Amino acid sequence: MDCLHSASDLERLRLTVRRKRDPSVVEISVCGATGCRAWGAEEVISRFETELREQGLTGKVLVKRVGCQGFCERGPLVTIRPQGIFYQRVTAADVSEVVSETVMKSNILGRLLLTAPGSERRFVYESEVPFYAKQKRQVLALNGVVDPTSIEDSIAFGGYTGLEEILSLQPTRVIETIERAGLRGRGGGGFPTGTKWRFARSSEGTRKFIICNADEGDPGAFMDRAILEGNPHPVIEGMIIGAYAIGAGEGYIYCRAEYPLAIERLALAIRQAKELGLLGENILGSGFNFDIRLHQGAGAFVCGEETALIASIEGRRGMPRPRPPFPVQSGLFGCPTVINNVETFANVTRIISLGPDAYASVGTNNSKGTKIFSLTGKVNNTGLVEVPMGVTIRDVVFDIGGGVPKDRKFKAVQMGGPSGGCIPEKFLDLPIDYDSLLEVGAIMGSGGMVVMDENTCMVEVARYFVSFTADESCGQCSPCRIGTRQMLNILTRITSGQGTMADLDRLQRIALQVKSTSLCGLGQTCSNPVLSTLRHFRHEYEAHILAKRCPAGVCDALVLSPCQHACPAGIDVPAYVAFIAQGDFSKALDVIREHNPFPGVCGRICHHPCESKCRRGEIDQPLSIRYLKRFAADWAYENLEEPTEPFPITKTQHVAVVGAGPAGLSCGYFLAGMGYKTTVFEALPSGGGMLAVGVPEFRLPKDVLENEIGYIEAKGVEILYDSPINEYHTVDDLKAEGYDAVFIAAGAHRSQELGIPGEDRNVEGLVHGLHLLRGVKTGEFVQIGNRILIIGGGNTAIDAARSALRKGAFHVTVLYRRSREEMPVSSIEFREAEEEGVEFLFLVSPTRIESSNGKIKGVRFIRMKLGEPDESGRRTPVPIEGSEFFLEADMVIPAVGQVPDLSFLPPDFQLERVAWGALKVNPDTLQTNIPWIFAGGDFATGPSMAIFAIAAGQRAALSIDRYFRGLKGPLIIRDEQYFLRPEPPSDPERLDRIRPRVDMPRVRPEERITGFDEFEKGLGEEEARMEASRCLRCDLERIRDMHVEDW
Amino acid sequence: MEQGFDMGRLKRILEGIKPARENLIPVLQTVQEEFGYIPPESIRPVADYMGVFPSEISGIITFYAQFCTTPRGRNVIRVCRGTACHVRGGRTVLNAVKKLTEIEDGETSSDMRFTLETVACLGACALSPVMVVNKTYYGKLNSGRIEAVLKNLP
Repeated sequence: MDCLHSASDLERLRLTVRRKRDPSVVEISVCGATGCRAWGAEEVISRFETELREQGLTGKVLVKRVGCQGFCERGPLVTIRPQGIFYQRVTAADVSEVVSETVMKSNILGRLLLTAPGSERRFVYESEVPFYAKQKRQVLALNGVVDPTSIEDSIAFGGYTGLEEILSLQPTRVIETIERAGLRGRGGGGFPTGTKWRFARSSEGTRKFIICNADEGDPGAFMDRAILEGNPHPVIEGMIIGAYAIGAGEGYIYCRAEYPLAIERLALAIRQAKELGLLGENILGSGFNFDIRLHQGAGAFVCGEETALIASIEGRRGMPRPRPPFPVQSGLFGCPTVINNVETFANVTRIISLGPDAYASVGTNNSKGTKIFSLTGKVNNTGLVEVPMGVTIRDVVFDIGGGVPKDRKFKAVQMGGPSGGCIPEKFLDLPIDYDSLLEVGAIMGSGGMVVMDENTCMVEVARYFVSFTADESCGQCSPCRIGTRQMLNILTRITSGQGTMADLDRLQRIALQVKSTSLCGLGQTCSNPVLSTLRHFRHEYEAHILAKRCPAGVCDALVLSPCQHACPAGIDVPAYVAFIAQGDFSKALDVIREHNPFPGVCGRICHHPCESKCRRGEIDQPLSIRYLKRFAADWAYENLEEPTEPFPITKTQHVAVVGAGPAGLSCGYFLAGMGYKTTVFEALPSGGGMLAVGVPEFRLPKDVLENEIGYIEAKGVEILYDSPINEYHTVDDLKAEGYDAVFIAAGAHRSQELGIPGEDRNVEGLVHGLHLLRGVKTGEFVQIGNRILIIGGGNTAIDAARSALRKGAFHVTVLYRRSREEMPVSSIEFREAEEEGVEFLFLVSPTRIESSNGKIKGVRFIRMKLGEPDESGRRTPVPIEGSEFFLEADMVIPAVGQVPDLSFLPPDFQLERVAWGALKVNPDTLQTNIPWIFAGGDFATGPSMAIFAIAAGQRAALSIDRYFRGLKGPLIIRDEQYFLRPEPPSDPERLDRIRPRVDMPRVRPEERITGFDEFEKGLGEEEARMEASRCLRCDLERIRDMHVEDW
Repeated sequence: MEQGFDMGRLKRILEGIKPARENLIPVLQTVQEEFGYIPPESIRPVADYMGVFPSEISGIITFYAQFCTTPRGRNVIRVCRGTACHVRGGRTVLNAVKKLTEIEDGETSSDMRFTLETVACLGACALSPVMVVNKTYYGKLNSGRIEAVLKNLP
């Protein structure tokens, strides 16, 4: 290429190159950047080249190696232009078909198209791809289009037009333009670029420098990499513009060594620019001299800090120095120096070519333009996202990012890398700009956004970041050098289960000290992850310290296996699953019964928190732990006839339990197992509590429950039916009768009222949900209505709806005051109810019940919309003015919650209560203010899930035992392994083959509603063993010798 | 493996470089590229040529993670410990690699087949968890893939 000597030379070249481009040539652009390369893009490219050669198409069809388009999740990416056909996950094996079908015949290959998750919709053209369409790709616009190894291609697409323009302007005009555009630095600090240039311009000295900071060290950030690999020329152009503006004759690009491809592309781009005379002496005949040298980083994160970077270029250890003097006054070699980030320079070029006002029309008042974020972690669409400043975090994570995979719950997004903070759900609607993020303890930083879900431990995240910064700390100043180490020690202790509450205060104090006294940005911001997690996730820290639990199921020292840890009753899940896999079903049942006397019940109705933690879910789908539990219970019921020996009584104390529900019966069972004599007093003629009266037959058949109650009795627990505890037989009486402790587990059976006009108990057709369910189960229930309205959104409402259909109701509608997403029922149950014909209306609230002559006529409702979030971040529904409407009904079933009924306790009883009327109970020991009276289950917490009640029974038993033995202090229940360990899997290498979950055979919806038979048919032996063999046996993995230095 | 240190090779590297302070780190990087590591015997000659004290060079070598003064294995495995990789199981990858290669982070196997290092972030975050072996990137790792990759290395 000939050297260009003037702006018109450049224009001429531009026209020539453009004219040379043959619009009829088909271009196959293949992304050859780092991400796609890891997927095998290089093989794809060389196969294309071979294929085209063999077919004699060279010259008519072009293969172009392009740069990172940011959709790395779907690589290798191939775009065929001019049509713009977009193929993803293309392998070398696909190449010949792509050429023969799509290139030659315009036939689309369906299997290579992008599909929308959860739907059949496929996208053919790049303009349709939602990931791109929802972005505002300006800096990244040419990534994937331009050939980064050809300066001519860049020029054809408009490269160096900005340079042409500014060389005819006064340098101060250039600075004004940048100031007018409002550009702020994209490296993390957000300092106004124009201001920085102005300072440098006015600093004394004739030798000045401009440096491009390409040391993108933030883990999780790769925006700069994409720009440098995919379209480096605008960065170089931006540097030349900047150098001209401030009067610098020398420039450096400092690029980290971990980006070898970026370095290669930059070196080539610089060489090509020099050859054309765009760098060097007398650029385009303007008299301006400027050259760029490329320096490689050497693996020090701190060198991303400007004074450390300068030290590194100067050939010294990368240690920052105090400022003032700032680099714009005294920087590299003591001369005025401007350091800007890669993305900043790319934006400079855009501003000059677009004009500052057009540029500033995008963004918010204080944050102009677009920002590229690297969206990674637990998110469906990982990759680079460029959006205008001011879009919300929710837009980026859910709209563009597609939300959290595998139906897991979003927990936080880490913004700003190790200098940034973790932002919880309640701030998702925050607009992204420099200033708003500071308020919640985060920073924009370089643009890293790492999404975290319910299976990420925030304490561990803080520890991870501090371990990173402790490692990278240059060591020069004491606060950072010592402070990071001390924070790391504390965090490591906490994640190992050795933390104390005093540690939290210490941690906070040290974090603040390090923040306010460190020499450079690394130290001043390294505390942010600690401070933000302490602020927003303190409960996780406390769980690690007080209960020795890791709620996310991550910290190895506390968690044997995540499923067991997630189980409120602590069942050794891997053991029983493994025994099932090995065919030893009887042992599997024994394992379950160590911690839960209700395997058949839980195998049918448990909400299985274990399954959402199952690590198998990372490979394909979580284990169907609940189905396996049911299988073991059902198999035992069919096949085991062993006589059940009662637990031996080895202690003298006698315990009374009030209520034969899951909490009370479990407590009795575990106490018996410890050798105590226990008597359960039940007011009703049969046991089971809510399980008996609140769960419909088609979900939990009566005989399953009765069988398990029978087992508990056989193990030595005495149950007295028709024996209420009330004013005739009080809790005090029990003490007098010789009981040494009482556990009150009377459940929460009193239905809450709607609290609206017209709610008259005597109206015919107004039946509370729980009342209906009980009546159906006991057979007392007589007449179901035809047109039924059910008000509520929880399990009772859904169960009542499904029971009503089975009883013959014609039209059943469930009306919930919030939205579908906020409904507490599981998605499976919701789907089943819908399949059976239940209608749902969301965001409606009843205002009045209409009746006449003592019979229900219908209900007036008002529509709601989700308003502002409250303290917890949940959006409160607010009524929409004037949107009332009336629905006719002959039966109205309120199901808006239950509360414990304390009326059986005498009013002058000394038991302390809490504000909302329940007993005040120590959540740890389950003791009330009277030492020998304990309470738990729904009675203490309000309505909850069955497994929590069973866990409460277990906790109460342990607590009562400690009380008898005079032990004080918190009750910490650690995970225990069953004393027998099942053998490791026989075929570990094949364990991670993709095998989806077993299907639970279900009766068809139309058949289901004809009766109350159980509709989940249960697994067969072979299916159960196959499903159980999918277990990864997390219980066998033990990390030994965890050092403090281990990350 | 050569017995003595090849001064000739070093001289050839130095000849092309101006002994200015700012070329110090690039020189060391080139030496490392050439020899696979920075031979301790090269420190004094480089110091003399560049006009700095050997202690200054040692200071630089020990500060920057890239530099290594012991020979490295044929295959340098770098496991990414960046945030995205961490959140998607990076630690498990490291443990798996440690188990298969029987060395710790920063060590080289006695048969010189492997060197294991961790890197703060490789910038391939969308593919997490990631490792680089020599110059090839491997993403979306699981135990099977890790084993397959390591088994096929020379």
